[in-house]
Amino acid sequence: MATPSFEEYCRDTFDPKKIFSKPEPLKGKRFLSCTQYILGPSCANYLAELGAEVIKIELPRRGEPMRHTTPFNEPKLYPLSRWLPEMGTGLGFFGANHNEYFLSVDFHKPEGQAIVRMLANKSDGMVENYRAGTFDRWGIGYRQLSQTNPRIIYQWLGGFGGWGPGRKRASYDILGQAQGGCFSVTGWPADKGGLPSKQTIWIMDYWGGMMGTFQMLACMYWRDNISGLGNFMEYSQVQGAQRHLSDCIALFGRHGLVPQRWGNWDTLLSVHGIVKCGKSSYPNSKNPQELEQGYILVSAYKDDDFAKLMKFIKKDDLAKKFATHEERVKAESQYEIYAALEDWAKDKTKEQARELLDKQGINNQPVWNSKEVSNTEHFHMRGELEWLDDPTFGDLQSQGPSFHLSESPPRHKWAFKPVGADNEYILGKLCGFSKTKMAEMEADAVI
Amino acid sequence: MAKNYPVLSWPAVPTPTPDDVYKGESDKAKEYALWLEDNLRQSKNFEKPEALSNIRVLDCTSMMIIGHWCSSLFAELGAEVIMVEPPGGDPLRKLSPFGRKEYMFKDTHTQEEVGARFLAEARSKQSITLDLTKAEGREILKNLAAHADVIIENAPPGQWDEWGIGYRQLSQINPRLVYCWVGQLGQWGPLKDKPGNLDPTAQAACGFVHGTGAPVAFGGTPTRSGWWMCDQVGGTGAAIGIMTALNYREEVSGRGQFVEATGAAGVIRILDYNWGWHGVDGSIRPRYGNWDLAINIYAVNPCKDGQIMVGGGHDRLWYRIWRTVGKDKPDVEQHIVEDPNLKEVTGRLPHYRQVETYTSLCEWMKDTTRSEAETKLQAEEVASGGVSFIDEVCEFPHYKYRGHLEVIDDVNYGKVLIGASAFIGQRTPGRVKWIGRPVAQDNEDVYRRLLGFTRENLDNLKAKGVI
Repeated sequence: MATPSFEEYCRDTFDPKKIFSKPEPLKGKRFLSCTQYILGPSCANYLAELGAEVIKIELPRRGEPMRHTTPFNEPKLYPLSRWLPEMGTGLGFFGANHNEYFLSVDFHKPEGQAIVRMLANKSDGMVENYRAGTFDRWGIGYRQLSQTNPRIIYQWLGGFGGWGPGRKRASYDILGQAQGGCFSVTGWPADKGGLPSKQTIWIMDYWGGMMGTFQMLACMYWRDNISGLGNFMEYSQVQGAQRHLSDCIALFGRHGLVPQRWGNWDTLLSVHGIVKCGKSSYPNSKNPQELEQGYILVSAYKDDDFAKLMKFIKKDDLAKKFATHEERVKAESQYEIYAALEDWAKDKTKEQARELLDKQGINNQPVWNSKEVSNTEHFHMRGELEWLDDPTFGDLQSQGPSFHLSESPPRHKWAFKPVGADNEYILGKLCGFSKTKMAEMEADAVI
Repeated sequence: MAKNYPVLSWPAVPTPTPDDVYKGESDKAKEYALWLEDNLRQSKNFEKPEALSNIRVLDCTSMMIIGHWCSSLFAELGAEVIMVEPPGGDPLRKLSPFGRKEYMFKDTHTQEEVGARFLAEARSKQSITLDLTKAEGREILKNLAAHADVIIENAPPGQWDEWGIGYRQLSQINPRLVYCWVGQLGQWGPLKDKPGNLDPTAQAACGFVHGTGAPVAFGGTPTRSGWWMCDQVGGTGAAIGIMTALNYREEVSGRGQFVEATGAAGVIRILDYNWGWHGVDGSIRPRYGNWDLAINIYAVNPCKDGQIMVGGGHDRLWYRIWRTVGKDKPDVEQHIVEDPNLKEVTGRLPHYRQVETYTSLCEWMKDTTRSEAETKLQAEEVASGGVSFIDEVCEFPHYKYRGHLEVIDDVNYGKVLIGASAFIGQRTPGRVKWIGRPVAQDNEDVYRRLLGFTRENLDNLKAKGVI
């Protein structure tokens, strides 16, 4: 049999349709997720993608705040819970709670705390993002749980951390971005009408959760292969921003530079920036997102690519003037070069610009909106976008996992479930509670 | 020309001491914080073991941050990370903002210069060179692969396979090898990467750029992140994938596997409700500037000396925010709390209600500095904080106190201020040992230690341009 081409080999090896015939890497591992908002939930979610049994514990009835968060208060998935069937869960909850089991427990009550203790004793780890010290005060923090389960890997995530001058400050993603430094280098400079800008995603939350997951997996490696011991970790969201901006910090420390915004261009490479195309791709659409002009990334930083690009847009003079990368990456050169590119693109849609640049062999990438991305075969073929046949909510388009593994791939089974949907399953299986006992606890709003 | 750059005195303002921080608090109130300090303070890091100290990673990526970011996370947790660079070094080393050579960092021994972007992710790694375009270089790589737990590469799709050093071939030599390819859109599929594709390609392709920045009506355009964000998110995804594969190897299979991670997959994964929303009703996520589509109040808005973030969408915080405002501007508080449309959390989300909310809030903030507003809001335990520039970030007392920033007094590059490892932990914390290496500094060490090369071998290979 002929050896398949590399493309064929990859399509087969990473085929999303074959994922469910492959084993799950964290089979048999159990984690508790005592979390709300995005930072903590997403951290536990990435473990659930890998096949761990993740038990998400929320307050009874209404669940966590993110269920009540949705763009412009419009899209919701029903029901919120069996107790509140007329309410729905907002899409803010979507993307941070896949594959989990949903248990409702009131941590404030001693009976609720006892449940957490019973579950933690049977778990590999716990993700928690309440205010630092709260779980410790309730007797269900790392210091207490590690007494009975010394192998527990306890990941706390939050804003400023539990020690230091800002330890009592509240935080959210956007605060991590703002006060951490991310805004200051994103957006157009003032002379182009820009302000320091937010990254659209709750990046300090969703990415911070990834950092937590990586550290937990490394701690599992250390526990299972080396020490046998659990661990306590603290992830500070504002610190994540400084980790991201380490190069800017080095420039300040050595040279006193305060790096600023450079819009859609690049401070290190030229040409390597996003250019406005003068025409909308959908002039007849009623949606303002489609009516607006298109944009395209044009990348030609190597000498020969740059010369080819300038020749193609009939700017041979610029090719000569900025023949070396050192010349064309200067700030004032970038203003001149991008003005010429926008002049070239002013009577084109982003698709027309792409077709012309492709013919020239110039790297480019149109700026796609979420509809265009959703309709891109590439992402669906690779499982980075997928249609879930969700057992509760029906057909849902979802993001796939962030990476591919050939032998034991991550996967999505369901988007999430209503508040307390797995109470009977989890409490019966792990706590041995009877139907009568569960009914009593439910009546007392413990669960 | 030897030129000594002045090293800024950092910190300009002394870092607070524990006495300053916990002054006036009862033993009970500070007990947990002090336990955390005891267990987590980075000053004790080097007394503790490293989680990944028996893992060896070969980072064979160049010209992108995604692979270097990924291997940095391994280096911070103790893995031995060897950067395998083309002879002359990764071209990324030469990049400096606007090409300004005076912003580079000089190795004191060789006078070789390196840009901050590369140096920031060269932490605790060794540097060797190897020319993989030569057959002899590829043979050496195969021998190195026999000693590696992890290989990360970012060559154009299929390049290594064609060269006989792809996953299909190296896994024959070392079945325990975890092999990871990283890139922008993928090594397979209709839009697979073309040579030279770099971030922000993935940012533009995955919907991030379209959704970032202000709407057209507010004078905005689609906006890229100011840094190579997809690389850093995608690189974190790659690290999770590799770590998963290592755990699976140890616990279950005894074998490595093929990992692929891209900037696009990483950011698509974390683009919250974009895909669910489009799937449910066809909506296209709009740009919403420094506001949030799904939470009000949760935004950055202008104030007297810059911009400030204020957050608190739920009743408890919502009323505290307006109470704070009301102390200075009672009419503004009254206008908001008496508006029946703003009584319910969900009622505050439609666009025109957000406009009403933030117009009112700015009525107060326009006369208030970041620092004044922060102080007043934090007295009510409301999340708030000014948009900070890098100089302010580097002097922020909380960050200095907690070691978010640290000076590495490096044998090659002198004192370099960096963003420290974000892995704070009790038993196996992350750490940075040195800031980076000039090109090929570790050729002798690595090739001798792993492959038994003699001085003669090394001289020969160098003469032939293989290393």
